[in-house]
Amino acid sequence: MLIYLGRRLNLLVITLLILCIASYILAFLVPGDPLINLSGNPSPSADQSAQLRLMYALDQGYVAGFWQYLKLTLAGNWGLSLTSQNPVFQDILQFLPASLELSFYAMLISLLVGLPLGIMAGLKHRKFADMGILSVSLMGFSVPVFWLALLLILIFALQWGMLPISGRLSLLYEVPHQSGFMLIDILLADISDKSAVLNDAIRHLVLPTLSLSIVTSALVIRLTRRSVINVMSSDYIKAAYAKGLSHAQVFWRHGMKNALLPIMPQLAMQFTVLLTNAMIIEVIFSWPGIGEWLIQAIYQRDFPAIRGGMLAVSSLVVIFTIAVDIIIRLIYPLSKRQFHAQV
Amino acid sequence: MPLLDIKNLTLEIDTALGWVKALDKINLSIDSKEVRALVGESGSGKSLIVKSIVGALPDRWRVTADRMNWKGRDLLSMSDTQRRNITRNEMSVVLQNPTTTLDPSATLGEQIGESIPDSMLDKGWFWQRRAQRHTIAMQQLHKVGIRNHELCLSSYPHQLPDDVCQKFAIAMALVSDPKLLIADNPTMGMETTTKIQVLRLLAKLNKTRGLSILFVSHDLLAISAMADTMTVLYCGQTVESGRMSQIKRRPLHPYTQALLDSAPSFRRDLPPKAALSCLEGTIPTLQHLPIGCRLGPRCPRAQKDCVKMPAVRRIHDHHYACHFPLHRDKP
Ligand SMILES: Nc1ncnc2c1ncn2[C@@H]1O[C@H](COP(=O)(O)OP(=O)(O)O)[C@@H](O)[C@H]1O
Ligand code: SF4
Ligand SMILES: [Mg+2]
Repeated sequence: MLIYLGRRLNLLVITLLILCIASYILAFLVPGDPLINLSGNPSPSADQSAQLRLMYALDQGYVAGFWQYLKLTLAGNWGLSLTSQNPVFQDILQFLPASLELSFYAMLISLLVGLPLGIMAGLKHRKFADMGILSVSLMGFSVPVFWLALLLILIFALQWGMLPISGRLSLLYEVPHQSGFMLIDILLADISDKSAVLNDAIRHLVLPTLSLSIVTSALVIRLTRRSVINVMSSDYIKAAYAKGLSHAQVFWRHGMKNALLPIMPQLAMQFTVLLTNAMIIEVIFSWPGIGEWLIQAIYQRDFPAIRGGMLAVSSLVVIFTIAVDIIIRLIYPLSKRQFHAQV
Repeated sequence: MPLLDIKNLTLEIDTALGWVKALDKINLSIDSKEVRALVGESGSGKSLIVKSIVGALPDRWRVTADRMNWKGRDLLSMSDTQRRNITRNEMSVVLQNPTTTLDPSATLGEQIGESIPDSMLDKGWFWQRRAQRHTIAMQQLHKVGIRNHELCLSSYPHQLPDDVCQKFAIAMALVSDPKLLIADNPTMGMETTTKIQVLRLLAKLNKTRGLSILFVSHDLLAISAMADTMTVLYCGQTVESGRMSQIKRRPLHPYTQALLDSAPSFRRDLPPKAALSCLEGTIPTLQHLPIGCRLGPRCPRAQKDCVKMPAVRRIHDHHYACHFPLHRDKP
């Protein structure tokens, strides 16, 4: 187990290091002065310039420069945004939770919808229920996310006026930023009409979450269904029936665990897909998350922000992936046979 | 009345090339206290018979039989619950290849625990039952020769060597104290000493508790020591069945003869370094069965009449399906 942990941590550190290197190289590849790209100071005076060159060790070769950059990055000094002149790191800390919140709820809903339907389809393999669920999931699977989002807006927000079109919260309300997760912040906040605010926040959440979770639900259904079918036709399930256990006993004691555990990594990986999809959705719904922020940065050629945003998102994905791997390893006995990291 | 009585069992399975009859009109019966051997080369359908009896086949496959009775009650027409009750309390099965028939994500302790029927535990609170199950499991493991029971019960199947899993599967089948044990190659992959121990245990259970056994094996030597009766299978058909001693002495079917000849330990007259006899060719695949007698192309005695399927004939309790049986040449 220790060797295993060591390997995974090793993988984590190396991947993060590579990401840092890539982001450092990016500062030199993109147009403009590397110094400006790194620091985010658009027109430094001669004095400042010298100071910054010293800070980033730009005159001491790439290796020393990178070492300096790594130290600054780890210390949370990611430079300033060219457009807003806010520290990039602070901006990311503010916007990332909004994206995470959206992805998290979408994931939750996908699992709540996808797992039961997938299991049902798998158990009723080749029956009517299976065909029905499969074709619906195929439809959900093949719909482009942004088109779906626009369609939902068209119907629910514009046509029926049931739900708000964009944003995270009505402009009427003001919730102090604490954790960055809106619902938690509302619950923590010391404001008067809490339930009204909460209601409003949830109404804002519905459409983006729905458009995100439809695709993922479809994926979850398909993954689960396949796995359940495989497991239920395996020898040990037949053997369990031969022992004289009932359908329910066989499924709950032997089927469920074996069907769900192997697909846990794939299910968890859907979260990263969700996160990327969330970025598209954020733009459509003007959701103040990292995606929207990053797209703005790209439009305005705000290189420090682009660099920081990409580093943050990719690190998050890597950390999440490896964490999932370790957790699964802890709870799934069979995976102990696998020694090396799998992607 | 026989314990298990199967008449004309036919199993159709769907392959890429359409439906084929993997088992064709199998007859098999097991009396109580009887040890019946089921032999045949690999691919002849032995495991399929075992699985049809315990109902461990994919739902799509079609099982039909004129009769498939357990103590006079038809297994095929009874409800799932009734059938499960029988497999739970009265018959046990060791399927081939225990490494794939054990649940990979449950410890062996949990798996043997659920094989112990509640009726074997004395009344007590549910927390006491756990300990009782553990004790019963432990004793059973000792009987099949697993000494390190703690390690075994707390391990997952992949953590143990195959022969321990094999012994464990036997223990799990025996733990519910069944009337009939169906064992598909139970001694496969075991070393000789453990094999003898397991065979001795089965023989003892047969003598003392009247356990009936359907013993599927390649190991003719082990079978001839244990079995009272034998059924020979070729290509999904029963070709000969009868008392062990009789078949050994005077096999009627050419295939049985070839099978016995291929086992060196059966032939006392075999000179040293003599070539072992065997049939030419291999068992045909299910998609390419010959017409008429399925042994036809490989049979040393085949004649023109053999393009017609031979009917099952009977001399006392010795059944065979052959137009030109050995030792019975027509006058
Ligand atoms: N799941 C399956 N799908 C298709 N054919 C099968 C399947 N299982 C067994 N068979 C076929 O049934 C025949 C008998 O198999 P089996 O009962 O395992 O033989 P034995 O146990 O005597 O070695 C083989 O020819 C095999 O190809
Ligand atoms: S019927 Fe003919 S081919 Fe078949 S076993 Fe008898 S002699 Fe051989
Ligand atoms: Mg077999």
